[in-house]
Amino acid sequence: MAFEVKLPPLGDDAPDEAEISFWYVEEGDTVEEGQDMVEMVTDKAAFTVPAPVAGTIRSITAAEGDKVQVGQVMAIVEQ
Amino acid sequence: MNISENQCPDQCECGGAAGGVKNRFPAWLKKRLPARDRVEPVLALLKELGLGTVCQEAHCPNTGECFARGTATFMILGRVCTRDCTFCAVPGGRPQPPDPDEPRRVALAAQRLGLRHVVVTSVTRDDLPDGGSGQFAATIRALHEGASATVEVLTPDFGGRREDVDRVLDAAPEVFNHNVETVARLYPEVRPQADYGRSLAVLARAAGSGSAPIIKSGLMLGLGESVDEVRAVLADLRRAGCRVVTLGQYLAPSAAHHPVVEFVEPDRFERLGALALEMGFEAAPSGPFVRSSYRAEEIVARLPAKTVTRADA
Repeated sequence: MAFEVKLPPLGDDAPDEAEISFWYVEEGDTVEEGQDMVEMVTDKAAFTVPAPVAGTIRSITAAEGDKVQVGQVMAIVEQ
Repeated sequence: MNISENQCPDQCECGGAAGGVKNRFPAWLKKRLPARDRVEPVLALLKELGLGTVCQEAHCPNTGECFARGTATFMILGRVCTRDCTFCAVPGGRPQPPDPDEPRRVALAAQRLGLRHVVVTSVTRDDLPDGGSGQFAATIRALHEGASATVEVLTPDFGGRREDVDRVLDAAPEVFNHNVETVARLYPEVRPQADYGRSLAVLARAAGSGSAPIIKSGLMLGLGESVDEVRAVLADLRRAGCRVVTLGQYLAPSAAHHPVVEFVEPDRFERLGALALEMGFEAAPSGPFVRSSYRAEEIVARLPAKTVTRADA
């Protein structure tokens, strides 16, 4: 089963995008549930986004330096 | 967001030399985003009830963590502020009249989130004759009655009017918090329409009230204050009757806001927190991500029970 890794929403008035600083993982890597996949930055802090499930990274759909909107898919993890 | 325009200050370890986004924040200012399935129910509830939170309005970096834990700090009296503090992301302008149904909805949200301790704050309402104190009082009462929760208010200064401070206190919040935000010297550039002495007077008034709430205040560090100035504020807060103080890193909402002058290292936060305890504060959360209401329920739970008059034991 495939899981989408998305930028989580924090509300209508919260920042609606974040910039990808760097990926800790590559396509084809295996990840544990909760393992940090990507580091992002908003105006207030740097964030890491954890893997939603354990599995293999099928694809990475946003690159370092990209601005990602809330809800946008950044990667697909195959369980 | 203009991240690239917001240069890293020289004194910070990240150097700024690389100039890249990666290096803008020092390592200790990194958070982990929670799984979205734990955050979305809270967002949905807030939306359904038409409630605002300071978490979202202020772009708080702890929002995801707190929402995932099922807690939030409600912001009443609208989303438009009558002041122009340079640290704050809440927009200024002409606010809407208070919503008389808002207290009921805050209580309903608290009940549905299962909150035992609720933090309520507001924008500053210099346009209202009572500064919004009546809405605070109604919200405290609604939370006590409707949600059986202990209540922490984080209030504006009400222009220093004692009757407005008293109106809030008469509703018997368990914790009365008013943030001094920064040291006296920086008021003109950080809180131009506020007054350091007035804020201390608000705290002292609350400390002397019959309902005897826990008095709390807080400061942001990294705005250009010195350690000696922070020490002086802590002494003033103790004299005013504060029992709890919070110290956290200021982070600029945008390049148009007051710049971050310094990323204060975790060590200094620890030392200042220890100093505050030595000075007689009963709790002094101090760290880069500490915010006024961050894990407020744990602090209240730790303080002597007799002071929490409506503890939902």
